[in-house]
Amino acid sequence: MNKLIYGLILVVIGALVGIYLPWYAMGVAFGLIAFALNMPLKSSFLIGFMAGYLLWIFSALWLDMQHPSTLPGRMAQVFPLKGNVFALFMLTGLLGGLFSGIWTWAGARLRQNK
Amino acid sequence: MKIIKSAFPLVIALFLTYAMNQSWGTIPPIGKIFSPFHGFWMNAESPESGEPTEETLQIDGLHQPVQVVYDEMGVPHVFAQDDHDLYLAQGYLTAKDRLWQMEFQTHFAGGRISEIVGEKGMASDQFQRRMGSVYGAEKSFEGMQQDPAAKMALEAYSSGVNAYIGSLSDRQLPLEYKLLNYRPEPWTPIKSALFLKNMSFVLASGTDDLKMTNILRKYGRDVAEDLFPNYPFQESPIIPVGSPVDFKPVPIPAAPADFTGLGSSMTTPEKDPNIGSNNWAVSGNKTVSGLPILANDPHLTLSLPSIWYQMQLVAPGVNVYGSTMPGTPNVIIGFNKNVAWGVTNVGSDVLDWYQVKFKDASKQEYWHDGKWKKTTMRIESFKIKGKKDMVDTIFFTHHGPVVYLSHEKPFRSNIPVGHALRWIAHEKSQELTTFYQLNRAKNYADYAKALTYYSAPAQNFVFASNEGDIALWVNGKFPLKSKLQGKYLLDGTDAAADWQGFIPQAHNPHVKNPERGFVSSANQFSTDPSYPYYLGWQYAPSERGRRINERLAVMEKITMDSLRGLQNDNFNIRARELLPLLFAQVKSPNAAQSKALAALKSWNLVNSPESVGATIFENWVLTLQSCLWDDEFSEDEKVPMSRPAMDRTIQLIKSEPAARWWDDTKTPVKESMSDIVMKSLQANLDSLVKHHGPQGPEWAWYKVKQTGVRHLIPGMDALSRLNIPIGGGGTIVNATTTRTGPSWRLVVELSKEGKPRAYGVYPGGQSGNPGSSHYDDLIDTWAKGELKPLLYLESPDQKSNRLRKKITLSK
Repeated sequence: MNKLIYGLILVVIGALVGIYLPWYAMGVAFGLIAFALNMPLKSSFLIGFMAGYLLWIFSALWLDMQHPSTLPGRMAQVFPLKGNVFALFMLTGLLGGLFSGIWTWAGARLRQNK
Repeated sequence: MKIIKSAFPLVIALFLTYAMNQSWGTIPPIGKIFSPFHGFWMNAESPESGEPTEETLQIDGLHQPVQVVYDEMGVPHVFAQDDHDLYLAQGYLTAKDRLWQMEFQTHFAGGRISEIVGEKGMASDQFQRRMGSVYGAEKSFEGMQQDPAAKMALEAYSSGVNAYIGSLSDRQLPLEYKLLNYRPEPWTPIKSALFLKNMSFVLASGTDDLKMTNILRKYGRDVAEDLFPNYPFQESPIIPVGSPVDFKPVPIPAAPADFTGLGSSMTTPEKDPNIGSNNWAVSGNKTVSGLPILANDPHLTLSLPSIWYQMQLVAPGVNVYGSTMPGTPNVIIGFNKNVAWGVTNVGSDVLDWYQVKFKDASKQEYWHDGKWKKTTMRIESFKIKGKKDMVDTIFFTHHGPVVYLSHEKPFRSNIPVGHALRWIAHEKSQELTTFYQLNRAKNYADYAKALTYYSAPAQNFVFASNEGDIALWVNGKFPLKSKLQGKYLLDGTDAAADWQGFIPQAHNPHVKNPERGFVSSANQFSTDPSYPYYLGWQYAPSERGRRINERLAVMEKITMDSLRGLQNDNFNIRARELLPLLFAQVKSPNAAQSKALAALKSWNLVNSPESVGATIFENWVLTLQSCLWDDEFSEDEKVPMSRPAMDRTIQLIKSEPAARWWDDTKTPVKESMSDIVMKSLQANLDSLVKHHGPQGPEWAWYKVKQTGVRHLIPGMDALSRLNIPIGGGGTIVNATTTRTGPSWRLVVELSKEGKPRAYGVYPGGQSGNPGSSHYDDLIDTWAKGELKPLLYLESPDQKSNRLRKKITLSK
């Protein structure tokens, strides 16, 4: 399977798990998928990272478009980003990416037990 | 070995998950809060627009469906078919907009902040509990249970709040729960009692007894009584001078023996809230419409989410609109078809300290009335986030809790150690009954009856009816004291120093339809000294009351808009009086002083936002007080003392230019009044230059005053509104200071047809959610001194282009 397909599977499952389960379930799910599908170890982190990054940043963008409010500006001050909303979106994506990437890598590494 | 190596990334992933699911100090759980499916992104709410939306919500416990329509401010107008459903809906809808605030404020009141913020909340928590906040709430809750209507309202309200809490999943939690990483607990009726008791903490916990005793010990009774008089030099009391007394006073208790106490105390900074309020009602013969108009603006610490929550509550027998306090049922300040009412605080002395003589270190017994008496103990347990639980034992005498033992360090510098606290907030009380009945009042008699249930914090209840009556009762439960009893610390062994019962409620100061055609209050003295009972020696400065009374006396053809104007009056009556006195003392000013004096001379005496004169004057008052009194009254921080009031300073300038107090005892030379005035002028300019640069537009009053409406979480600037361009000041009718101000402004005109018209605003918004447009959308209107028309509906189907949303609550 190519990386794009792996990524797509993760994004779809990640969204479903996100909607119905606690936030950390996404990571565990990515780990299980990487394990079950025997994802290539070398690209596992990148696939997971991109899936998590895109899922979180686009979900946040979608929510912000559905409900335009001053909240992102305020949160970009609560977290010291000097009110920069762009940075807040980037940070959301990065956190989602990092979290997903590590779990995907962990799942893949466990499968390739050598 | 292989398995360990291949499981290594899993260990990292698990650790990362743990780390991102935890708070680290003040940093929220970074994974949970940034997840767009769970965290803050979920809290954004877009403003309503277009056609009103309709929605049905299912709630357990309702008898019948409840109709709710929201207007463009986000005010819910609630139509229920019985009282039970009305209060259940009030609880539910209030929680829907304000849950976090309701819970946080009652956690604060109950001394439970450390459960949320950890050890740093502990000193405040212990102080709250030691002052008997939970004890008082329990007593007050007992009282509430005695009135079936109030009990029902309280319980239904609680079910409503719980119905909302029960409907919330983690991802729907209010933002603050996500930031602080905890979940709401079930609401209980006693939390409403805690909330009401906290109002006594906010409004009736001021105490200078320790500081006054320190003065007594250092300077003796003559000086203490001379500089801290029991009635001000200038005053315009709430009950007009010469009003007839319609009761026969009961005997006044004999004064206890003189007592100079131990005084002193170790010290930590004391909170000095600049809170007070204005209210008035004008009779129909002064208004254009011929019917009374009532106005009220309670001044409190300005905060977000807003202190007040507007609602209209309609059920058979009641149709009331006004501001409610999240956490308690009923409308607190508002109007119905026939009457309107409002409140301001009464500064009477309802809190006293008794020096306790324990028999031994076990503190099991104390000496009173010639014998050893048993103390009782109350165990308070504290859950502290991230630490082990703690228990604290509080010793009670018959007076009340010994707040701090002799060796302990008090939380605030005005709290004496080794003293028992006698406080009105510990009495059983029925405030909810008062508001339940006021919400339904039809006339003066209903209003007067409702007030008989009220204890604390004592309020000036202003009233107007569409029968044409206006009235004001200085109302609450007042201890029956000998003159000046409790001005100083009291002897806890002397039975004659105990509170000897209470002033009969019917004898509380009151006035109905006075000849002058208006009633008013602004926290000043309730009465002139001819009133037969002693209520207290120290009230808010007289300036606001004097200004309101001088304006209302001359105003004719009054409209709601002219009273809105009076609420926003920025005229500085203190400056009108004091500046000429200060100018007369000026000698050989330097260039900077001359420039400042020129600005003062050309100033129109109005504390408008842009005024530089207002800044120079207000700051000069501070430095003058400091230069005049600090050498004698603030020399040792371990012996805190009060400073004579500005009223006394003005009297000193006018009639005692040679008083010993003018000399600065810290210098070898002997200063004159003029020397101190010039010294204070220089100190004034030095501090302004230091903080705001040379005299110029940066000295604009609003830039120096820096009024802010701050989020309840300290330091949460991102969720606050700071540097609001607004004028006013502590002794100005528009009493807006840095942190305090008019927390709700209401003007109501009654109507014979039962169609009252009303305007109101508060510095915040209906929603407690920082992600909602209704979080702070009223602040700009408030700052401009404008009001919003309040929508008073007859039925849920009434047409109005101001309606935005309709919700049916169904069982």
